[in-house]
Amino acid sequence: MKIKTTRYYHILVFIAAQVAWLLVLGLWIFRWVTSFLLINRVVETAPGEMPTRSSNILGLVGGLVLLAAVQVGMSLNFRRLNIHFNLNRMYDNFIANVTHELKSPLASIQLHLETLGHRDVPPARRREFIDLMNRDVKRLDGLINTILVIPGLEQKKIAYEFHVHNAENLVLDLVRKAEEQFQPGKGAIRVRGRAPCRCVVDRNAMGIVINNLVDNAIKYSPPPLRLTITLSCTSRWFVLEAADRGIGIAPADHKKVFEKFYRGDRPDSPSVKGTGLGLYWVREIIRAHGGRISLQSAGLGGGSEFRIELPIYRVSRKRFIRNLIRLTQRQKKQRKSDHE
Amino acid sequence: MSEKTAPGGRILLVEDEESMAVGLEYNLTEEGYRVTRAENGTQALELFTGHEFDLIILDIMLPFKDGFEVAREIRVTSPRMPILMLTARSDSRDRIRGLEFGADDYMTKPFHLKELLLRVRRMLQRKAWYKEVTAEQPSYHFGENSVDFETLECRSGSRIFRMTALEAMVLKYLINNAGRIVSRKELLEKVWRVSAEVETRTVDNFIVRLRRHFEPDPARPRYIRSVRGAGYQFEKENARNG
Repeated sequence: MKIKTTRYYHILVFIAAQVAWLLVLGLWIFRWVTSFLLINRVVETAPGEMPTRSSNILGLVGGLVLLAAVQVGMSLNFRRLNIHFNLNRMYDNFIANVTHELKSPLASIQLHLETLGHRDVPPARRREFIDLMNRDVKRLDGLINTILVIPGLEQKKIAYEFHVHNAENLVLDLVRKAEEQFQPGKGAIRVRGRAPCRCVVDRNAMGIVINNLVDNAIKYSPPPLRLTITLSCTSRWFVLEAADRGIGIAPADHKKVFEKFYRGDRPDSPSVKGTGLGLYWVREIIRAHGGRISLQSAGLGGGSEFRIELPIYRVSRKRFIRNLIRLTQRQKKQRKSDHE
Repeated sequence: MSEKTAPGGRILLVEDEESMAVGLEYNLTEEGYRVTRAENGTQALELFTGHEFDLIILDIMLPFKDGFEVAREIRVTSPRMPILMLTARSDSRDRIRGLEFGADDYMTKPFHLKELLLRVRRMLQRKAWYKEVTAEQPSYHFGENSVDFETLECRSGSRIFRMTALEAMVLKYLINNAGRIVSRKELLEKVWRVSAEVETRTVDNFIVRLRRHFEPDPARPRYIRSVRGAGYQFEKENARNG
């Protein structure tokens, strides 16, 4: 509520400054024109040229330039403040989401520990509670890792281990692992198409990308899940398209979903979990691979399709790819020397 | 773990986190309650429409329909259904919103199991007591006011409004003891079912709200009067039972 009020106040101040600025400009031009007309009249009545005329025009132009500079400065400040407000809002949302994501598994662990401590739980249920606690611990670990990786992504300090892989085999393997992890049900994820091209990829990072795509499809699709992954190769790119039949994303949000902390807040959403970091992380991984990611959705209710393009291992891209491999080796050496 | 009261109480547990739901269901069942579980807001409302429940434990961040919306919709048809909100959201704005949307109690995660079970038991006891006392006297009139303790609908002059379940319980207790001075401690023990060491400002806040509802001049109360150092007293002036 306070942020909202401050924002209205800030917009009001900006509008007031604009009105004041326009009034000053109007008054100033009015004054200049009237004095110009007065001087002209004086010139007409008295013979000879007035020496001040040219300096008056210079003064007018100079004044206008200065006023325009003030206006540009004000607008830039207003824009920056708006960005700051939006970031603040997103950060608040992020804190609320992370709090929820941290406290939920923590509360479950506490509940199971208190249950085991206070009650005589039969062995079968005891086993079940321990399994659930392990799952919660993994969830907490995953969340903490996601949060910790963000500063690294921003400072480009993430160490990737790039290797040349057959794109199709790699994706099939990673999808199988995602199926083992998320258990979406038999036939829920289908992989179509052929991609007999090779790419330079960090296997673990690409695993994070596939896991995020599968996790998002599960979270935002009404059951049963239907996720179709289509693979293909063009002359320059390996293309992966992941299409689901979920709730879709409004066209205005197609780019926003890759922004840090962004979460589409919809009251009818099939899931409420998440931190707003997953797709941001995915985009940064794809960018680090020299690739690109985009989203297509027919809008709300129309499902979503993520399209990932990665450069294939070809002469035209070899220079870039060699750079990546060199960088990986350098980072590896660095880590080795750090350990020693 | 704790003494088993209200055995067979039916609880609707609305929780989307499987781990939490399994743990709560086990503990509540062990306490003698019958638990039905809903995984999202829509399912909770469907189950609520088709079945009888004595209490609802409601998470806020739920798929399809959040806990606030579920509480709001339940309150339209069941103003007296006890709702305990159990959520990881600890922001005071969420707490206030939850209570405004009709929650009777609000607990944040993580919580202590014993405390949760105690609160559930007290909410069920309160419900049973209220049911008992309103059966004898379902409505009440005093001055220009009338109260329907079944629907919680009230009229004060030409103004029609609905009380919360807890406001109704406080008023009912004062009416049942009309003419007698009721201490804050007694109200806390009998209505809130908590130990009297708890902050007594809670009682005063409820009295202020009741006076705003029913007193022609809340600054100079005619019906719910304060007795300095002792508590509150309900005046029987022109009262008649329904």
